[in-house]
Amino acid sequence: MTVRLLAQAGVRDSLRAYWFWLNAGIFVAGGLLLMLFGQVDVTLLGYRSYGRALAGLMQLALFVVPLMALLSAGAAISGARETGALDYLLAQPVTRGEVFAGKWLGVVSAVVASLVVGYGVTGAVAAAKGVPALPIAMLLLFTIVLAAAFVSIGLWVSARTSTRGRATSVVFTLWLAFLALGSLGLMAAFVRWGLPAGLLEIWSLVNPVEAFRLAMIALLETDPGLFGPAGASLLGRLGRAGLIAAASGSLVLWTAVAYWAGRRAFMSAE
Amino acid sequence: MISASGLGKSYGAQRVLDGLDFRIERGERVALLGPNGAGKTTLFRCLLSLTDFEGDLRVDGEAVTQRCKEVRRKIGYVPQTAPPYDMTLAEFVAFFASLRGASVDGPADLLAGLGMPLGQTGDKALAELSGGMVQKALLALALGSGSSVLLLDEPTANLDPGSRRDLFRAVRDLTEDVTLLFASHRLDEIEVLADRVLVLHDAELAFDGTLDELWRTTDAAPRLWLAVPDGKVDRVAAELRECPAVAGLRANGAGVEVDVRGTSSLDVLVEVRRRGLPVGEFRTRPPSLELVLDQLSSCRASRSGVDLPPKEVGQ
Repeated sequence: MTVRLLAQAGVRDSLRAYWFWLNAGIFVAGGLLLMLFGQVDVTLLGYRSYGRALAGLMQLALFVVPLMALLSAGAAISGARETGALDYLLAQPVTRGEVFAGKWLGVVSAVVASLVVGYGVTGAVAAAKGVPALPIAMLLLFTIVLAAAFVSIGLWVSARTSTRGRATSVVFTLWLAFLALGSLGLMAAFVRWGLPAGLLEIWSLVNPVEAFRLAMIALLETDPGLFGPAGASLLGRLGRAGLIAAASGSLVLWTAVAYWAGRRAFMSAE
Repeated sequence: MISASGLGKSYGAQRVLDGLDFRIERGERVALLGPNGAGKTTLFRCLLSLTDFEGDLRVDGEAVTQRCKEVRRKIGYVPQTAPPYDMTLAEFVAFFASLRGASVDGPADLLAGLGMPLGQTGDKALAELSGGMVQKALLALALGSGSSVLLLDEPTANLDPGSRRDLFRAVRDLTEDVTLLFASHRLDEIEVLADRVLVLHDAELAFDGTLDELWRTTDAAPRLWLAVPDGKVDRVAAELRECPAVAGLRANGAGVEVDVRGTSSLDVLVEVRRRGLPVGEFRTRPPSLELVLDQLSSCRASRSGVDLPPKEVGQ
């Protein structure tokens, strides 16, 4: 009951925030553009026409969703702490655990709502053009898991920072780091320092952005060349289903571990 | 209702509360007095279990750290500044009443009684309301959702005199059956509202008793303002200086301010009447907080055998 009330308040706050509509707008606009170009009857690098559009949407999600989730979750606790709103909330008959759960659920719900709006419009247009609905539904599902992982990470940062500004700078740095440590940046680092290939494979699964990318490429059954060296090696080692399971597990683990760490930090905070 | 035993709190090396022992009975109205930084807000944060502390602190027999949710349900809290929620008044009241497990009717009725019916003001954003209106809303929320303990943390600190008067009238009228603990550094507010005073000074409970006992303990008597017609101030001042009930006085063009010796200003007024002094009107004023705290420190130091150097006391 308390968690639901807190989550509803979080969603209401998000609906008033610019980022919610920005996120939904980016996905609607991006999805429609990609779907439009995706219908061009060209086969390139093994893509089917709609597969190219979905891969484009996946790339869009890779950049936008972690940033949105991190920024909104990063401000959720630190912003309230900075203004004194958190103290007033905690002076009510609620536990810190309930407040943390409510904040998490509120931010995740808002991000999911904006994704559903964005993917929903794209999906409707795609369906009208005869594109199967299942790949878009799978993309939405995995994007939600990706968002949940980054909301947990953002709330963890938020629980450990005293001001919204500090939390924002930390989550922005994290976003850059996760992107920079994606396949290309990571590979360059491994080549530069001559690290073992097995480590590169493990790191590809540990990085949530990279795990999402590998899972989606495996799901969309596009050109195996898109996996990159580490992904291709993992595909060979685990198979398509194994790679999807391992990457999904990584995202779920990120969600759970970051949630646990954030809750712990929030419970012990003054 | 509220009991503290060995209550202590430090922020780093700074000791904010040090071994506080006190008990507040059900229905008592207790003022928490002390200068800025004395630990008043920290004591409230301990009661609300917003911070950790040493010692034992209970509300209605329940340890605040072990049953924080149940304890918070009993406590209504009005902070010094309004929490900046991006909500309308109606949303704010509905949300926090629900969190407290209460219907919105109780706070709404109280708000209507305070001249803020939700039908008229409910659509306004909290940010659009005056400080006094928001404090009234917090008060209505605290009392209308069934709290048996009301904590007010300097609720009038940021209000203009009119709003301050309104809020205090509301607190006085609405808290008859409630245990009230309020922080203030205004002795005039305390005089109107409190049965008892706890004085925090240098992290310790420097005093626990009634206001009269505080005046007697500190010998910090009230001040008496006498309005005197033009041209007669010097004569009145000269005559009053001879009165045993007058500890000191300051004169200006409009009248004389008297520091009363003892705790009653009546002796001075009797003397004014007996001597037939031309006084138009009078007002009593509590002594300054600075004077009270300074004298309290001196009393405690002398009890513990410490020699203090003579000190100028500001007004």
